[in-house]
Amino acid sequence: MTEQDPPVHLHVGDAVVARVAAHRARLVPGVVALRPDLPQALLGIAGTVFGHDRSRLPVDGVSVTVDGPSVEVAVSVVTRLGHNCRDLAVAVQRDVAAEVRAYTGLDVTVRVTVADVLLD
Amino acid sequence: MAVNGGSSADGPDDSVPRLGCGRDAALAWDRAAAGTAPDEHERDCPHCGAAFADARGLDAVVHRMASEELEPPSSTMDRVMAAVLTELRPHDLLTLPSPHGPVRLSRPAAAAVLRHVVDRMDGLRARSCRIEQLGEAGAQAHAADVTISVTARFGIDLMSVTARVRQMVIAAGEQALGVPVRRVDIDVVDLFGADLPGAGLFGEERP
Repeated sequence: MTEQDPPVHLHVGDAVVARVAAHRARLVPGVVALRPDLPQALLGIAGTVFGHDRSRLPVDGVSVTVDGPSVEVAVSVVTRLGHNCRDLAVAVQRDVAAEVRAYTGLDVTVRVTVADVLLD
Repeated sequence: MAVNGGSSADGPDDSVPRLGCGRDAALAWDRAAAGTAPDEHERDCPHCGAAFADARGLDAVVHRMASEELEPPSSTMDRVMAAVLTELRPHDLLTLPSPHGPVRLSRPAAAAVLRHVVDRMDGLRARSCRIEQLGEAGAQAHAADVTISVTARFGIDLMSVTARVRQMVIAAGEQALGVPVRRVDIDVVDLFGADLPGAGLFGEERP
């Protein structure tokens, strides 16, 4: 960029961060699924009945609040018996924060809730 | 569909959206929706033809969707109820230690894990499990007290059972949940017959 170029202000939306976070969280070993909240679950059910855009990356189980240069990401995960819940949650925090920080440049805080542990 | 506010042969009226040919777009739309056959102008006019096509296309889509019978998947009710129950218990959570920020674990899920490991022990069946975190400061900040009720096989050594359950709950708390267990209270509430797995001594059924 030369001195004459105008400054560029990049604003990253909640949905962008949510999709990146959800994608990365699913890749953490031991994460069986992400658990949607009630509105997300009902929208998902409606989508299966009425049809939905499959090209969109899912964000179920992730909620995001971007506040200036920082962002808070809440992830709700389901795991399976055999994976230590504490270690799994820490791994999700670490990996999601690194991915979102690298992709957006935002300062990230990740809250993780282990919503269920499958026993089968 | 081209729409402008120009004049027409019937006289200009800037408040009415008009097609490129000057005809009232709403009138053309109404005639098409009513199934009226196009007049001589409409048959040759691309603007009116487009309006007719729009109206008929929308009419076809609406009637097709209205006539479709919706058949939700059989799992819909289960998924709705699971989502509702999850939403009703948003604060029923344990906290876990983490250097990166808040981590929480569903208390019912944690209790189910502890019941499950006790269930797999020979001669025992878990009935209920309650986990309480005291929230003390320092190294014991996330430690939990566990109260678990069990039924035991008739004739089993209850003192031995108590020691085994205690050890199993402490190990499962640390290894499966990541929750340090500070105290385990065991309540043996009933016995079941040795020859009838799953049935109580007096015909009891498992919850």
